[in-house]
Amino acid sequence: MFSDLSAGRPLPAGRYTLLIILACMLLLSSIDAAFAHGVATGDKGYIQESSGVLIIPFIYLGAKHMVTGYDHLLFLFGVIFFLYRLKDVGLYVTLFAMGHSVTLLLGVLTNISVSAYVVDAIIGFSVVYKALDNLGAFPRWFGFQPNTKAATLLFGLMHGFGLATKIQDFDISPDGLLINLIAFNVGVEIGQILALSAILILMGFWRRNRNFMRHAYTANVAMMSLGFLLMGYQISGLILTP
Amino acid sequence: MMYNSEFSSQPQPSAAQLVRSTLAALVVATVLLICVVLPSEYAVDPTGAGRFLGLTEMGEIKQQLAAEAAADAADTAVPAPAAVPVATAAVSTAPLPAVTVTAKPVVQPEPQPAAKPVEIAAAKTAQAAAEPAKPAARSRTVSFVLKPGQGAEIKLEMKQNALVNYSWSANGGKLNYDTHGDPYDAPKSFYHGYGKGRFVPGDSGELKAAFDGKHGWFWRNRTKQNVTLSLEVSGDFINLKRVI
Repeated sequence: MFSDLSAGRPLPAGRYTLLIILACMLLLSSIDAAFAHGVATGDKGYIQESSGVLIIPFIYLGAKHMVTGYDHLLFLFGVIFFLYRLKDVGLYVTLFAMGHSVTLLLGVLTNISVSAYVVDAIIGFSVVYKALDNLGAFPRWFGFQPNTKAATLLFGLMHGFGLATKIQDFDISPDGLLINLIAFNVGVEIGQILALSAILILMGFWRRNRNFMRHAYTANVAMMSLGFLLMGYQISGLILTP
Repeated sequence: MMYNSEFSSQPQPSAAQLVRSTLAALVVATVLLICVVLPSEYAVDPTGAGRFLGLTEMGEIKQQLAAEAAADAADTAVPAPAAVPVATAAVSTAPLPAVTVTAKPVVQPEPQPAAKPVEIAAAKTAQAAAEPAKPAARSRTVSFVLKPGQGAEIKLEMKQNALVNYSWSANGGKLNYDTHGDPYDAPKSFYHGYGKGRFVPGDSGELKAAFDGKHGWFWRNRTKQNVTLSLEVSGDFINLKRVI
């Protein structure tokens, strides 16, 4: 979506959307569940075969989860889309982080698990909501602007439940659980900072383009369609899997 | 036009600043790739930082699991140790009664003697009377050493609802285990588990086959020392095989 920076000649809007949707579908299709003699592989396999306090490995897993979690990144992208001051970026990201840390720890420690499909559909909805918010849809439709800070915190809480559900699926050993969870959460924040730095640099280049405002409209519409795609994907999962 | 669009007066980062940021991001990404991601994912650790941080071990476990899954998928059983050392194999022809021992992980860290719970005579008679005529029960004892990182799997061929009593011990060590079954010609990624645990000194109980097929244990030694595993099985099974 930044390919036309030097040319300054915008691609037709539909093509951006199509490209992003294709990329997203590729990501979704790469999910696999390999087993060897009933033992899970990958991160899950590692977690299921480990026990005790493992601070740095869990920080790594948290950061990886965030950096590869396209749903969280998409929401974060929406949140900072029109934030220009570093102070504001910091404030909103902290609100989001506070929200998801609370529900991540609470969900795992109290063993509350919400259906992963429901949580992920809500996360998809959060992307749609943020895109509409960026497009100024709420004042136009309903005549008032919902508090963006409160919405960010609320969606942070939802995203945390998503993280908690995924961790419960990992089946972490109760031995060292709390410390490992805190390490995982620290990793999530580190991953968030890393991903955010990359997004901010790209946005910096993009904002310098004189057509940014025209792109911005298209980008938020594209983001909204991805949010709808995520919702549809999760709701189908809820209906189709026993 | 769009929400919070009162920004246009905000100073934009300069082109040079953005280039510097990009280069810094590239450096950070390269350092993280070499010191963190490669050790954690592929057990490739050129700097030794991964080993120091405890991440290379994660990469090794993932690589090992992936290789075993690939071997499984290719249906070429992981090469079992050349000669599977089955220490003792006692076959008793007398019908053994079904002992009802509830399956639960043994939590005491003390070395587990090979002795298994002794059945109560009264229960024995009652059970034996209640059971309809069944094929001669068999009994086997198996013992072998697992090196650090090594896995082993023992499968019993059993008919649906057949019962065996088992007891295994890590003899003072600790093992991860996954008790599960596969029907004959199981579809890919089929999984039916009877229970699992990690870093436990042993387990005993009753295994009832959920379907015709192979049922048994997969163990992995994730400790740093050799672990001697002993397994005792008795009951209604067709044969016992170490498959890995």
